[in-house]
Amino acid sequence: MRADYLVKRSLILIFILILSISTASAFDRYDEKIYKGDGYQINNYFIEVFSIKSYEDNRLLTINMYQLKSDGTYEELVVTSEIISNKKYTKYQDKDGIVEIIVKETNCTSAYGTVDITTLGINVEYHHPVKGGLLNAKFIGEPSLLLTKEVDKTNVEIGDTIRVTIKAKNVGTGPAKRITIDHGITPGFTFKSAIYTTYPEEMAAGNTDYTQMYIYEMEAAQGGTVTLTPATATYYCSTYDSEYSSNSNRPVVTVAQEAVETSVLELTVTPHKTELQRGNKVTFTVSLRNIKDIPATTVRLDMLYPYSMTYESGCEDIKIIDNKPVIQKSIYEARYENEYDYTFVANEVGIYNITAKVSYNDGTNNIINETTSDTIYVIEGKYDYLKEYPLYVYIIPIIIIVAIAGWIFWRSNQFKM
Amino acid sequence: MNILIIGAGQCGNRILDSINNKAFGGGRFSKYYTKQKFPSRVETIAVNTAINDLKEMQYTKAKDRLHIPHLHGVGANRIVGKQCFIDNKDLIMRTIKERGNFDVAFVITSSSGGTGSSFSPPLIEELKNTYDFPVYGVVILPFREEGTIYLQNSAFCLKEMHNSGVDGIILGDNQFLKYAGTDIQSAYDGINSMVAERMLFLLEALDSEMMMVTDLGDFKTVMSGGAGIATIGFAKGDGINSIKSIIQQSLSPNGLLFSSNIYEEGSRAMIILRGDRKYLNIDEISGQIDKLSSHIGHVFKGVIIRNGETPKVLSVITLETTVELDTLYTLAVEAIQMEKEKHDRMALEKETGAAFSKIDGLEPQY
Repeated sequence: MRADYLVKRSLILIFILILSISTASAFDRYDEKIYKGDGYQINNYFIEVFSIKSYEDNRLLTINMYQLKSDGTYEELVVTSEIISNKKYTKYQDKDGIVEIIVKETNCTSAYGTVDITTLGINVEYHHPVKGGLLNAKFIGEPSLLLTKEVDKTNVEIGDTIRVTIKAKNVGTGPAKRITIDHGITPGFTFKSAIYTTYPEEMAAGNTDYTQMYIYEMEAAQGGTVTLTPATATYYCSTYDSEYSSNSNRPVVTVAQEAVETSVLELTVTPHKTELQRGNKVTFTVSLRNIKDIPATTVRLDMLYPYSMTYESGCEDIKIIDNKPVIQKSIYEARYENEYDYTFVANEVGIYNITAKVSYNDGTNNIINETTSDTIYVIEGKYDYLKEYPLYVYIIPIIIIVAIAGWIFWRSNQFKM
Repeated sequence: MNILIIGAGQCGNRILDSINNKAFGGGRFSKYYTKQKFPSRVETIAVNTAINDLKEMQYTKAKDRLHIPHLHGVGANRIVGKQCFIDNKDLIMRTIKERGNFDVAFVITSSSGGTGSSFSPPLIEELKNTYDFPVYGVVILPFREEGTIYLQNSAFCLKEMHNSGVDGIILGDNQFLKYAGTDIQSAYDGINSMVAERMLFLLEALDSEMMMVTDLGDFKTVMSGGAGIATIGFAKGDGINSIKSIIQQSLSPNGLLFSSNIYEEGSRAMIILRGDRKYLNIDEISGQIDKLSSHIGHVFKGVIIRNGETPKVLSVITLETTVELDTLYTLAVEAIQMEKEKHDRMALEKETGAAFSKIDGLEPQY
């Protein structure tokens, strides 16, 4: 029992040690050349080379330190200076004695000074030389990731694969560190594979473009309209020693229910000839085929034909309803195929099509399917040229012939007993 | 002039039909597009007991065909025929009466058949009793070899007609005219056509404005001469032969309807000539007329001028005697005798029972 206690205590101490090292490690910067008027920013601390003065053949470097504020103002920190071996030491230490910044002059010219910077008690997330001094220093604030989740399709069927892309950009004022992404698997979908996972662990603030963070594919497993679980980004900002997280938007995906097997009637209509004389007949063969394993019900086959054509005859399945040829079947068996012949008389010269229209119930819905035949050309009939002449040209001879025939008939009857 | 022509029996019907055909112009279809060109008002009536014979007629209107219902003819039996006429006399006479008044009538018939042979004599008698216009019989004698019944029918028909009060009998003879065609049908058609052509010519002669006039009176005078038997001769020229030869031809056996020696058997005659003036040489005509007159006595002469027409001659000759008719009656007597013997023989066989009596009293065995 005691041994277990010791092991646990040792592990806790090791963890505290590691944590203390990672959260408040020392930062050292050596031989940093800073021109007069310029500075160096560490987190929100700004070290400014304020002036370089000559002193007994030496040059005296004046260092000011400031604490940058989120509202754009700053606070000049109280520093202490001392000269050791003709080198000036400038030191800041907060009132708690936790944070300490020491700037040690190593060389100095009239234009710049070369310094070693050491810190204590600061998790340095940001350090950078700043031209122009304090006026150009920027407050290093909190990061804020804006996360998007995009899908390549929003209407799918069960079994379909959806590609999801997660993008992010830092719209905060400070860098995001140690970013991790949880893509947020959604119930009803099965994760298939990660396509792209090499997203950056850090993201500076101020970039206007989205950065591709994560791409993965998932398979729709259930039907319905689903709002995807948002992706979550977790990140840190050591400046404030805080953990942040951001959620993405939630795309909506509609997954169609598993398709119900229905019947499908395919329809073709074929004229036996495409050119005929007016007054002649033309037969159309309608082929009706159920290509599914489910029978169709309440099947009705109509022919839509122009007024200039007259239905003449057809197969025995055809009934005349409202003077139109109609085929009706209460059931059209699965995988059943049949052909029906319709014969029409072309009454007028012209170019025509005939449309076959089948309506049926496919087991779920009432379906209407139409198909149109090839064009048929009705040309003038053999004796149509007779129409070119006025009626009296024919009537007068006919009257004469009828009169003669009548006379002969009447005369014959006079001699017939 | 009003003329009535009655065709009785099959032969009379066919000659009547031929007359009607020629009146239409002679074409097969002329009845459909022309009117009959009779010179006078001519009424024709076909009478027959055989309806099939009436139906065969093509150029005689149905209203002019009078069917006497008696099965399908009288079967050449004149006794039956005469009784049939008596039974239907009123119908026949009423039909004739409905046609109006007439100036002359002709009854055309065969002497040998059934209906015509048996109907004609009493019909003529009835006409004579009813009307006062002259009635003439146009009688066609049979082929001699056609059989005993036809011969005896002819003999009795002629006799009865002669006694009926008829004003004259014009004879035609199938026997004499048998060579008119190559086969029996064309021979009959030819005979019918010949008789019809002569009849039409005669009708025209009786009612035409002629250069030299003959009329119904002349015809009656001619027909009243001799024994009341007459025949008609006919000939036509082709524009080359003379009118003299044409007249001679009409008076020759080839031109006559009945075989006779005109110059020896003739009693009176009427000669009618028709054609273009240029063919009608008056001297030749007069010469031939004079020649005939010197043999038979009086000859009437008529001339019809038809411009552009080739000459035709029609002669009507009444006969005092006729050898051919005597011969016919001789044959008829033989035929009657033969029929009588046949009847006697059959009557005897019937009395004895002949073969049938052999099985008297027997019954069939099975």
